Amino acid sequence: MTDLTQAAASRLLTDTNHNRRPWGLLLVAVPVFLVGWLVIWPTISAIARTVWRLDAEGNYGFNLSSYVFFFSDQYSLNNLAITLWTTGMCALLLLVICLPIALYLRFSSGRLPAYVQGLAIFPLFVPSIILAYAFIRVLGPNGMVDILFNAVGLPKIRTPYLTPWGPVIGLVWDNIPLTVLILLAGLGNVANQSIEAARDVGANRLQVFWHIILPRISNSVLVALSFSILGIFSAFTLPYLLGPASPEMMGPFMQRTFREVNDPLNAITQAVIAFGFCIVFGLFYVRSVARNRGG
Amino acid sequence: MKRREFMLATAATAGTLILPRMTSAAEGVIDWYTSSDSNIYDFWANTVKPAFEAANPGITINLVDAGDGAGIIAIGERAIAAKQTGTDPQADYFETANPRLPAGAIEAGIYTNVKAAGLSNYSKINPLAIDSDYSLPYRGSQVLLAYDSTKLDPANTPKDWDALVEWIKANPGAFVYNRPDKGGSGGNFVRRAIHQANGLDPSLFTVDNYTEEFGNEALGKAWAILSDIAPSLYDSGAYSSGNTQSIQLLAQGVVTMTPVWSDQVLQAIDQGVLPPETGLVQLQDLALCGDFSRAVIIENGTNKDAALKLADFVLSEAIQSAILTELGGFPGVSWDYVEPALRERFSDIVPTTIPTFPSGQWEAAINDGWYRNVAPNVARDS
Repeated sequence: MTDLTQAAASRLLTDTNHNRRPWGLLLVAVPVFLVGWLVIWPTISAIARTVWRLDAEGNYGFNLSSYVFFFSDQYSLNNLAITLWTTGMCALLLLVICLPIALYLRFSSGRLPAYVQGLAIFPLFVPSIILAYAFIRVLGPNGMVDILFNAVGLPKIRTPYLTPWGPVIGLVWDNIPLTVLILLAGLGNVANQSIEAARDVGANRLQVFWHIILPRISNSVLVALSFSILGIFSAFTLPYLLGPASPEMMGPFMQRTFREVNDPLNAITQAVIAFGFCIVFGLFYVRSVARNRGG
Repeated sequence: MKRREFMLATAATAGTLILPRMTSAAEGVIDWYTSSDSNIYDFWANTVKPAFEAANPGITINLVDAGDGAGIIAIGERAIAAKQTGTDPQADYFETANPRLPAGAIEAGIYTNVKAAGLSNYSKINPLAIDSDYSLPYRGSQVLLAYDSTKLDPANTPKDWDALVEWIKANPGAFVYNRPDKGGSGGNFVRRAIHQANGLDPSLFTVDNYTEEFGNEALGKAWAILSDIAPSLYDSGAYSSGNTQSIQLLAQGVVTMTPVWSDQVLQAIDQGVLPPETGLVQLQDLALCGDFSRAVIIENGTNKDAALKLADFVLSEAIQSAILTELGGFPGVSWDYVEPALRERFSDIVPTTIPTFPSGQWEAAINDGWYRNVAPNVARDS
């Protein structure tokens, strides 16, 4: 009986060893092929189509005029600036909001943290279009907040609806779950022993956070931020529904240039420029993953 | 081994299942596409489809939502490709489309000349609505001004553009219109400003007379008018992001007046989204623009004859009356061909003329120009 099992096990082991490589590569081939086909190829084609195209005389040639237009057009630059401002502001707010939540969840136990975690993950299950309309109902003009304030005799709020703060609030709320989850995973790396050891030698809470916890989770912070930044930079629904008509974020701007202004060339140029910014954050992420794997 | 074979078999089966279905369109099933909102789709699913299928046994309608205008154009491109290869376009009827799109579609012969198709109801169509021999106007709507009659006495409503501007400036923050590309109510308000700036003459603008020089001159004057009222708008110059959002701001009592589509506002009042105290008013010097939705028949569709039957059916008195009562739209036929009782009931919104504004290059110029010249409002940055 034991012999038989052992034989079977070893056969299974050699089988797996023998077959692992080709099958593994084959399994990876599908996603790699899809990424190549649906992401990398369109990117290359977009870049090629904006720099190598027909000129006025009908000859193909190297032409950067659409990029020159973008970077010399104040309206486009304002849109790029508001996108960068929104992204930066969201990243900052996400860090300020999510880090305390993650720390609380990591270092406390019981029923309450479970509820807090459930609440922090909740936005994951709310589609952004529903979030946008709920936002208008609550924070919009004459919304719930105004009604509550009015009931206790306070003045109306200056509503963030249709101002640059509208998308910021919506996007931060939308990105809380992902950020909290990634930070929480990172905090799992912090050993209780090292914190206790630091406490034993007299470190206060701030010192523990600064010297023990932060160095261990800096990688996770980077990953969490690059993830949310990538999503926020190209966000469409929330900036479109909650943001001002002008300046507009790159997502609605691209869509409008393509669809409403019937100008595919400038829309693709805007997309390539947005891609250029996103790739910087993407590289941060790839670098930190690679560093993690190496270590 | 067996497990692996099983997995391979499963993968192969799954692969065949997700392959696009390469079937031909079925005989007797009209492939119908729309780019309109869900209220139009529902109207077809609940009213037109059952009535037509009951009247024409053996013919059914396959209702497909193509998403938006670009979706319809993509199906049109497919029909051109199918025509060239002699295959089946799997499309017979567009609920609303512009036969000039995709460019060259009429020349390619994929759209039916409905004027020459011998429809028994063609002569009933409102002459104001006809735009091309290749499209069939069957429903319309117009932009009106909706207001809260508890805040604005109906006797004091602005009756012409100058009075409207005066009212907007006297009541800062009480008026909002949506971004012109995000919905026709704001879009046609902007077009009304263009008419105002160019001598109230809609005939100045045609689908093919856009030139950069004329455009800059004609539109530039309108941008000046709109920039002038911008600081007096809701939130010192904010623009809602669609027709519904404007109605929402009116419903929440934030603004007192906003431009609206006639069919949307009638439905909103009917459903209680807007209170019964909502008043409607049209400018008397020149009405705000409206437009008709025009059906297009695919010439090389398998079920062209059935589709023509459907087109004729849609112009019948029963369906045209239902467009008024159930959709809150205008009929595509002349008002003489609507039930007399209904004509009486809707006499207030019966338009004598419906000014229209061409699309084509004008549309792109308006969409771009408004965002560059009117939307940025420096005073608003706080």
